[in-house]
Amino acid sequence: MKTKSYDDVSLFISMVAGKNKWKLNKDSEHLEMITEGLMKNYNRYGYFSCPCRDADGVRENDKDIICPCDYCVPDQKEYGHCYCGLYLTEVFFNSGMEPGSIPERRKG
Amino acid sequence: MDDIVFIKEEGIKKKGEIIVYALSTCAFCKKALRFLRENSISFSYVYVDEFDHDKKNQIKHELKEKYKKDIGFPFLILDDTTVIIGFTEDEYKKKFIDG
Repeated sequence: MKTKSYDDVSLFISMVAGKNKWKLNKDSEHLEMITEGLMKNYNRYGYFSCPCRDADGVRENDKDIICPCDYCVPDQKEYGHCYCGLYLTEVFFNSGMEPGSIPERRKG
Repeated sequence: MDDIVFIKEEGIKKKGEIIVYALSTCAFCKKALRFLRENSISFSYVYVDEFDHDKKNQIKHELKEKYKKDIGFPFLILDDTTVIIGFTEDEYKKKFIDG
């Protein structure tokens, strides 16, 4: 498996955000932590498992939490950002508020 | 979970026994640990994701059964009674600084 570099993951995140018209967390340190987390998960599991959830390590079992996860849009609708505080709605981004932990929508 | 080796960080302030189950990849976990560190609060932590598959599932199962909470990270346990899941600075301030 070819590993991903930090820059590869940054590009991936930017492309996902751009394609969906989402904003990225403006806190560069937070963004860096998540980028590093995604990189670690990709390089050990082979897919971009959400860095804020513990992965099973089997793609089929983790398919709902592969970034951007299945819960991203519902969480954005309710809280303005995804579970990790990575992808923000434009409204939340412009509010100047800082993303915090939100309740886990995933069951099990 | 008696066989888990926690990393202990000694601070000046003792706010009770604080144990944090965290993920090495999680930004909110890192922020929670940093909050405790920067406020010189003693705590112990472990990165759950760095255990093998069976062990980490055992840890999550036991936490869920013992504390009757769905698992999220960081999973902080204070004095074996109070559980704080996730990190928001306001909540940690209320619990460990103002409280």
